[in-house]
Amino acid sequence: MAVQTIDSQLLAKMFLAGANTLDKNKESINELNVFPVPDGDTGTNMTMTIMSAAKEVSALGDNPDMKTLCKAISGGSLRGARGNSGVILSQLLRGLTKRVRDEESINIEMLTEACAKATETAYKAVMKPTEGTILTVARGISDKAEELKENGCDDLETFLDELLAHGKVVLDGTPDLLPVLKQAGVVDSGGAGLICALEGAINLFKGKEVDITISSEPIAKVDDSRPVKAEEKTVNVYCVNFDTHLHRELNFKTEMDVKGYLQSVGELVNYSVEGDLVKIHMHTDDPGLVIQKALKYGVLSNVKVANRNLEKCNEGSEEGGASAFSEKHSAPAPKNNEPPKPYGFIAVSAGEGLSEIFKSLGVDVVIEGGQTMNPSTADVLDAVEKVNAETVFVLPNNKNIVMAAKQAADLASDKNVLVIPTKTIPQGITAIINFAENMSPDENEQMMMTEILNVKTGEITYAVRDTTIDDKEIKKGDYMGIGDGKILSVGTDITQTLLEMTGAMVDDSSEIISIYYGSDVNEADAEVIREKIATTFGSCDVELQSGGQPIYYYIISVE
Amino acid sequence: MSKKIAVVTDSNSGITQAEGKELGIFVLPMPFYIDGGEYFEDINLSQDEFYTKLSEGADIMTSQPTPPNVLNLWKEVLEEYDELVHIPMSSGLSGSCESAYMLSHDFEGRVQVINNQRISVTQRQSCLDAMALAEKGYDAAQIKDILEREKYNSSIYIMLDTLHYLKKGGRITPAAAAIGTLLKIKPVLTIQGEKLDAFSKARTSQQGRNTMITAIKKDIDERFGGYNCGKNIYIEIAYTYDLESAKSFKAEVQAAFPESEIVMDPLSLSVSCHIGPGALAVACSKKLPELA
Repeated sequence: MAVQTIDSQLLAKMFLAGANTLDKNKESINELNVFPVPDGDTGTNMTMTIMSAAKEVSALGDNPDMKTLCKAISGGSLRGARGNSGVILSQLLRGLTKRVRDEESINIEMLTEACAKATETAYKAVMKPTEGTILTVARGISDKAEELKENGCDDLETFLDELLAHGKVVLDGTPDLLPVLKQAGVVDSGGAGLICALEGAINLFKGKEVDITISSEPIAKVDDSRPVKAEEKTVNVYCVNFDTHLHRELNFKTEMDVKGYLQSVGELVNYSVEGDLVKIHMHTDDPGLVIQKALKYGVLSNVKVANRNLEKCNEGSEEGGASAFSEKHSAPAPKNNEPPKPYGFIAVSAGEGLSEIFKSLGVDVVIEGGQTMNPSTADVLDAVEKVNAETVFVLPNNKNIVMAAKQAADLASDKNVLVIPTKTIPQGITAIINFAENMSPDENEQMMMTEILNVKTGEITYAVRDTTIDDKEIKKGDYMGIGDGKILSVGTDITQTLLEMTGAMVDDSSEIISIYYGSDVNEADAEVIREKIATTFGSCDVELQSGGQPIYYYIISVE
Repeated sequence: MSKKIAVVTDSNSGITQAEGKELGIFVLPMPFYIDGGEYFEDINLSQDEFYTKLSEGADIMTSQPTPPNVLNLWKEVLEEYDELVHIPMSSGLSGSCESAYMLSHDFEGRVQVINNQRISVTQRQSCLDAMALAEKGYDAAQIKDILEREKYNSSIYIMLDTLHYLKKGGRITPAAAAIGTLLKIKPVLTIQGEKLDAFSKARTSQQGRNTMITAIKKDIDERFGGYNCGKNIYIEIAYTYDLESAKSFKAEVQAAFPESEIVMDPLSLSVSCHIGPGALAVACSKKLPELA
């Protein structure tokens, strides 16, 4: 007789199968992005989100109970959430697990309710839900589940197959709901990611061969002769803390490589840079690998290694789901018992110049990332913990980080964390400039929210594929001027593309044009651009700054 | 029979010599030293000449009125009046209040020096209030008590076009000096009683204007008992050099405080030389209950 319920063991396998399937298809999902911009992509973000949960699930061993499993899925994905689609995925999983966590095994009726709960939770997490996205696909699946249940469907395999088939139909319909998708000739990438994960899970259910080993992470060996309760086991058993005094400062690329390597040999809890000093806190099963790597780049000091099963980890335990995590962050963390200052700032930014500008404006912690790598909810929470202030303003400076930042604000319980939804670097700069120490948090929030709408942002990058957006035909390799979510100019000459874009941004009320040039532009070329802009738009003040950002040759702001 | 009370101030109040004659207020001109030569505001130095010299990078120093100048004016006034109140610029910004206070000891109470932390348009309003109080029969000592009681019931926000002049003059608190950044920034400063202090920053003039209007509204609501159609409060505007932008700012302030009759004055030159051209300020002072 066919299997009619899903127990925790099967659910764990289905989840891992879904995660791995998403991982294997992430590149094709990345290519569904509307803007052909070489930056933080949906497939990567969703994969990193689900993998964060998959690592925790995988660490539970072969037979976790339902509650522990659900906690790992929900907590792991909430913390690991990156990008808007990643955040929505984590909310879907949170809703789903909330409904089933107290069950022994899941039947069709419970699954139907879980789908509804997942959809409801995800919709609630988004301020203005947009149709034609992952949300629509999730709702389509949940509506179908309800319909099947009402019609008396009593075979779980048929039920799951029907859900998947209907989900695909809804996904194919997303271009009819969202014109930008239609023009670009793609379906919604977040929805595609969801279907992909679901398909992997259902394939496993049906007995198809699906890889469920989580490869990027060393998994603790389970000693079968001595059964251990799942919750008590620890992967990445050593807690390693040390400082690296760099021989020379790392460039952006090297830094990403180092972080990537560290993440591949364990769990990187914290990585912070202060000049030529890098502080690393990580959990790993092989401290030797971590230390070897760091020795390549500098001299080590304050090296501390602790066994997390036997000793207290210096920075608190990292196990468990969201609740354990928020507990950790609710612990008061004032350094040297200093009283908290009233206000602190966190900004997400990529590039030395931009980080320097944010620091000069009073930002306490700059989270490196943004364009190539969207920081996760946990990254933002770590930064919040470092700022000893009563109210912490977070400037995500990228529309794809706003939700992860808000999720972090919800999880941080000991501080008043306010996310100013800055979608670009210039909006972030304008927000903090308009901050006034003597005003209340609410007044500051309101002031910043008002002023960020008065700054226009334009960014110059190149297209990674052919497409059509906003009625503009774009060829791979073309320069594109993107202004606040719209393609303003396209061309093969960077100066021309930039001037055309700037022209579309400047009007009679414009006072100041700021140019931040990226890491691939030299100062002399940038100076020529500044001259051209100054002569073309004579009534405005023009300033030039080295931003050092990757991917975007120029970021321009007009205020 | 009530005493005859005179009001004396300095040219930082923005009250010109001509206006002073009209209002019956005696105005002591503030001296300047420009490239070594001595000038007096509104006597032998016009605003235009001043800004030309300032932009040419001339070495401009401000000074206090000399004791003989102060004493001569007082003596002249007291020939006609029983008592006088002297309202100098804020003691937080200049030592002239303190020197005047010392000089006043020799007048057996006939000269009352008022230390109420006012400057420019708010100092001007204090002079008008003093005149009105005198007319109601208050004597010099009573006027001093009333005005000093109200010294914190005023607020000023100033947006500078640049930090350059403030740094040059050294008349800046450490907090304000820290505003210097890599970016082009217009500092928004505030005067609450004491010295100039940093309040906020702006990228554009429009942002700075919005910040100042929001801040002054908050002060009125939270500290001065609400706007109440302007019945409780005077709203004032001051600027340096750029009359056109001051006019458009006035329209914005007027929209925020529709029932108020807004006074707008150029900032006195001894303030201007510390903040440079292109500055805009909005101020408010609470109306005195005695004059309600």
